[in-house]
Amino acid sequence: MRFQLLVMLSALAAVPPAAAQLAVTPVRDLEFGSVIVGVPSSVAPSHPTRSGQFRITAPRNTKVQVRLTLPGELAGPAGAQLPIGFASSDAIAVGDWPGSTPESFNPQATRNLQFAGGTIYNLFLGGTVTPAGNQRQGNYAATITLTITNF
Amino acid sequence: MRTTTVLSAIVAAGLTVGAATVEAQTSANIQATAQVLSALTVTAGKDLEFGNVTPGVNKTIAITDAGAGRFDVNKATGSDVALSFTLPANLTSGANNLPIGTWSGGWNTAATPAGATGFDPATGPTTTGSTASGTLTVYVGATVNPGAGQAAGAYTGTITMSAVYF
Repeated sequence: MRFQLLVMLSALAAVPPAAAQLAVTPVRDLEFGSVIVGVPSSVAPSHPTRSGQFRITAPRNTKVQVRLTLPGELAGPAGAQLPIGFASSDAIAVGDWPGSTPESFNPQATRNLQFAGGTIYNLFLGGTVTPAGNQRQGNYAATITLTITNF
Repeated sequence: MRTTTVLSAIVAAGLTVGAATVEAQTSANIQATAQVLSALTVTAGKDLEFGNVTPGVNKTIAITDAGAGRFDVNKATGSDVALSFTLPANLTSGANNLPIGTWSGGWNTAATPAGATGFDPATGPTTTGSTASGTLTVYVGATVNPGAGQAAGAYTGTITMSAVYF
């Protein structure tokens, strides 16, 4: 009996917790490229090269909550700020397994995903920048964070 | 019995620890980036002027000639611009046509055709590459081919140049 319980304890210790197998990887920045003063510019989440992209990896059947921390402005030269906004359909999540249907969602809200048929989800993000007529020229950037929690 | 109880407690503790680690977070960052450029403007600088043309004698205005056409471009420094043209096949005078045979072009960051980078305006967009200058001067020349029986008159046509950031 004592031996059996010790074996059980050893087995429990050997199994890595599910959380240890949960990972999120940055794949690609959200790139607006060149934008003209006074002219709003949008990137769709389906854009093949300019949309932002994260890859989420988790064991099959894992349920995770995704939450994006989004900026309201991009920071530019000499303290200049470039407003950025996100529409309710500016995020798409799609599993990499056959038959997975892309899910469009509001990036400003949390979203639950289930790894029903595989171990990888790709999350794509679009947005819109609105340069003012007197926007200072130069390069602008801000950080977008994806946080995932499994449950 | 006592041993079983103790070990059960240990197992329960282990499961509790395991459950705590399951609800974990992880995160990653990407950047949102943009480059803001000034508005791109094109201004008509000077007409392409052939002056007097003799019937049956072709006449060419080179981009370095005084009669060359000119457009002025204001753009963001360090930007790459694509230039494209809508060109007439003929100059017209009422119902009469004066054919234009060939076109020539050149762009320069200085306001002179000397040292301009040549291109053919008739063959699709021309990209300038990234230039440090905030201005471009674009020169246009052409050759007209009047027939031997070309009707006398003042002939005109419209040349349109468009510029976009590339």
